[in-house]
Amino acid sequence: MPIVRTDSLTKTYGDAAHPVSALNAVNLAVEEGEFLAIMGPSGSGKSTLLYLLGGLERPTSGQVWLRDHDLSKLNDNDLSRLRRTAIGFVFQFFNLIPVLTAQENVAIPLILDGMPRAQALKQADEALAKVGLSDRATHRPSEISGGQQQRVALARALVTKPAVILADEPTGNLDSRSSDEVVQMLRHTVDEWGQTLILVTHDPRIAAYADRIVFLKDGKIVDENRLKGQGTADQIREQLSRVALQ
Amino acid sequence: MTTQVSGLGSTAGQMARMGLRYLSGRRLRTALTTLAIVFGVALIFAINLVLPSAVDAFNQTMSGIAGADATITSVTGEAFAPEAVLPRLEAIDGVRGITGVLRRQFQLPTLGIRNDNGSVPQIELVGLDPASASQVREFIVSEGRFLEPSDTGKAVLPAGLADLSPQLQVGTTFPLVTAGGLKLYTVVGLLAEQGSVSVPQIYVTLTDAQAAFNQSGLINAVEVSFDPRADREAVTAAIEQTLGDAYTLNTGSSSTDTLAAMQIGFAMMDLLGLLALFLGAFLIFNTFRTVIVERRHDLAMLRAVGATRRQITQMIVIESLIQGVLGTLIGLLLGYLMAQGVVSFMGRFWATYLNRGALELRLNAPAVLGAVALGLVTALIAGYFPARAAGKVSPLDALRPATTASIHRAARWSLIIGAGLMALAVLLLLTGSKGAAGGALLFLIGMVLAAPGLVMPAARLFSPILTLWYAREGDLARSNLVRQPGRAAITGSTLMIGLATLVTIAAIVSAFSGLINTLADANFGSDLILLPPSISIYDTVIGADENLAARLRALPEVEAVGSLRYASAAAGGQSLQVLGIDPNAYPQVATFEFSQGEPDKVFAALDSERNAIVTSLALSSLGVPVGSDVVLQTANGPQTYRIVGVANDLFTFKLAVMFISQANLAADFHKTEDIMLMVNLTPDADKAAALAKVQDILTDYPQFTARLTGEYREEIVRTSASAMYLFYALAFLILIPAALGLLNTLTINILERTREIGVVRAVGGSRTQVRRIVTAEALLLGVFGAAMGVLAGVAMSYGFIAAFATAGWEMPYQFPLLGVVAAIVIGVVLALFASVLPARSAARLDIIRALQYE
Repeated sequence: MPIVRTDSLTKTYGDAAHPVSALNAVNLAVEEGEFLAIMGPSGSGKSTLLYLLGGLERPTSGQVWLRDHDLSKLNDNDLSRLRRTAIGFVFQFFNLIPVLTAQENVAIPLILDGMPRAQALKQADEALAKVGLSDRATHRPSEISGGQQQRVALARALVTKPAVILADEPTGNLDSRSSDEVVQMLRHTVDEWGQTLILVTHDPRIAAYADRIVFLKDGKIVDENRLKGQGTADQIREQLSRVALQ
Repeated sequence: MTTQVSGLGSTAGQMARMGLRYLSGRRLRTALTTLAIVFGVALIFAINLVLPSAVDAFNQTMSGIAGADATITSVTGEAFAPEAVLPRLEAIDGVRGITGVLRRQFQLPTLGIRNDNGSVPQIELVGLDPASASQVREFIVSEGRFLEPSDTGKAVLPAGLADLSPQLQVGTTFPLVTAGGLKLYTVVGLLAEQGSVSVPQIYVTLTDAQAAFNQSGLINAVEVSFDPRADREAVTAAIEQTLGDAYTLNTGSSSTDTLAAMQIGFAMMDLLGLLALFLGAFLIFNTFRTVIVERRHDLAMLRAVGATRRQITQMIVIESLIQGVLGTLIGLLLGYLMAQGVVSFMGRFWATYLNRGALELRLNAPAVLGAVALGLVTALIAGYFPARAAGKVSPLDALRPATTASIHRAARWSLIIGAGLMALAVLLLLTGSKGAAGGALLFLIGMVLAAPGLVMPAARLFSPILTLWYAREGDLARSNLVRQPGRAAITGSTLMIGLATLVTIAAIVSAFSGLINTLADANFGSDLILLPPSISIYDTVIGADENLAARLRALPEVEAVGSLRYASAAAGGQSLQVLGIDPNAYPQVATFEFSQGEPDKVFAALDSERNAIVTSLALSSLGVPVGSDVVLQTANGPQTYRIVGVANDLFTFKLAVMFISQANLAADFHKTEDIMLMVNLTPDADKAAALAKVQDILTDYPQFTARLTGEYREEIVRTSASAMYLFYALAFLILIPAALGLLNTLTINILERTREIGVVRAVGGSRTQVRRIVTAEALLLGVFGAAMGVLAGVAMSYGFIAAFATAGWEMPYQFPLLGVVAAIVIGVVLALFASVLPARSAARLDIIRALQYE
């Protein structure tokens, strides 16, 4: 049974007179332990899809299922709880709290969930070790590099052992070396710990690490690539331009 | 999944830790924001530390001989004949002993007794009848003997007092000031008691005390002891019933007006503290709104990783609470120091000016709790609303580029209600002087409500002036400002309150100085003035009998001598000071500032029948017009006086005073001592030489100080002017939050427009131009706030001066031109000052980063 599933997921912005369709009856299923990349040209609805999967945005119609929770039926508090226990986010801008240390940033979701501080910090240390940043635990975000900041953000997403990690252009703000480092680490979480991962990107080099790519255009899934991590960037780039020209 | 409840403490702890880090990351802003809380808490705490001890000290010195069960005084506080009371008390069941005493506190200028607190400036001289006093209270003699009925010039002291002063031993003599000049007393015995530390008592026979106070045959208190088996409440009730309204079983009724004046003073300081806290709340509110815009990303991220709205709200509230706690703690400390300052300053003033007991600082739970509660509640309320807004930040804000600053429309209803309130306020100001102060405040509130609607017209009105200096940037600045009328309005309102206070204070100060100058001319018509140790409060003053005036008149240089005499009285349930003047001699040496009545006719009327002049304050507190009759409680029972004129002078304009003839004062109040004397010299007399001769006479009357009137007048006017500067200082303190509010608003505006600033730079705007846009915007805000402040200030000053007039302080209203000019200049300068940092940071923005800013 898929861990994440959508059912005719539709999102429309604007008022009734001037509807702007962002997502149109999308059906998507993601299996446990799968690494899915979402690609598509600008305005194709890929970010909207990610927000809907993360419970940050509410669907106009259709459903989003995370395990057996129908996200469209949850209230704000329940959604918040789900986000801090079952979903991990990694953003393009690393979005760390500047006044907290790396360790404390990682511990935030646990502390928000009411875990005693000492225990939360201990688990944060473990998560930092997984991303290879044990020696940066007491540094503030401004004291470490961009790639390291994104790894801290990844540790923050991992610390709750979420059902799924949602990553929105996680390398969009990094140089190519740091990008490789981060995406290899993402791959590693899938391979080593069976983490489910959904990633939005426009970079074929990054998407090449995924098990499967879905291509979005005008709010619809128009193509798919089950490359199982074996694809090449060029191949994906070609497929992407085909989608854009359709 | 752990439950939320079990871990709330941990979450709150983390929130607090995070709050502290955010706050310490912005130390200057935190300090400035906290300052207003510190100031408010300190003021309120200091006042409530001093107040109870001041009231206690007051009551303590007014209470009677320790050990008596009850003390009976006349409602007027004045002396009375013992026959009027004693026989009636004897018949009451349960009364064991009764004794009449005549006692008064006064200054000891020459004795030089010292205790731990420094010199003992005052004592209480207690005249008692040795036989009956022993029945009321036990006097245990430790050395020598107790007083005997036949003693004259003999005194008994507490051993505690003798310990302090080696000269005061059994067998030694010491001088005391009396109405008849200095008299020598011999110590015949010491009592085995410590005595009052602050106001030592010296016991003499009743006859000696009557002579010393020039009140032959009179007493001013009756001490009563009860039968130990009697029901105390029943006895008390029986005494009250027997004596009726003319007497009270209490401690110190004669001084209630002083006490009331004191409490009003403290209440005014309390009000100032509350105002400071109010501005503190305003400031915290404003700052946290800025904080939320600045931290929108962090907040959204927290929401995205699972923080609930409540948790976010909690975090901001905790942060404002941290400031509240910090401000309150520092405020308590500062308040304690302030209270100590007040005590040491007032203590001196207290001792030399009021002749009251010592002041000491007493930490008391209500003062601490009250100040703490106010400080915390202020921070909590002010932080709550921005915190709630913070909870509403969408988690998507962390992922998406920010929407640019949205344009808000000013609420029309707010403008309509505001304008309505202002119109009502103007009506109140113009028609009724009673509601004038209310009208002034109403105007201010109306202004705050109308402000958002006024931003646009004000920006249109002032931007042509702005384009003179900022031809290219002015338009952009104006459109930036009107995008968020609510924010501009709040900033303008903060500035308005500060500047309106300044204008009001300037107007009141100038009106007050004018009043003081006019009144000073009335008081100081004479050449020399002989002043008692305390002015305005005379119940502890030992005056002089007629010999002093006679000796002054005998000097060849002296042309005329006029004097004031004093008694306390009550009318219509209110206490009043009664001052006796000689209607013929007084106008030669001084005059009044008459507001009703012809001076010549009024002085002539005073000479006959029971006629009186009252001060404006007395007239308004009596609530009757000129020409009406007032029943005065005198030492002789109720007497009817007719008000024939209303007049003030410098010493009395802030008091409820009734002037009557000295003849009536002697008849109704048994008072014949002069408590202040004014002397006119012959035209060719050498003033300095005359002063020396008068000072020579005063060696026998050390309670008086002789001064050249002109010199003294200058001193008074100067002192009152310097007291006024204190108010200016307070007005400037109120402007600090206003400046910080400006800074906050400009900062938010720039943060929200980072991307736009990037665009301006990208299309060729120079750094200087960006800086000038921000400066122009600040100037517009400053001028807007100043314009509102001037309007509100004029209304407020008019209202308050009208309100003062109803309270009896009539001052002519003058347009506060100086205050208005100062307010405009200060408003503009503050705006420029507040714009320096935001303008610089806007100009320094990196173009690429600004364009990418989301």
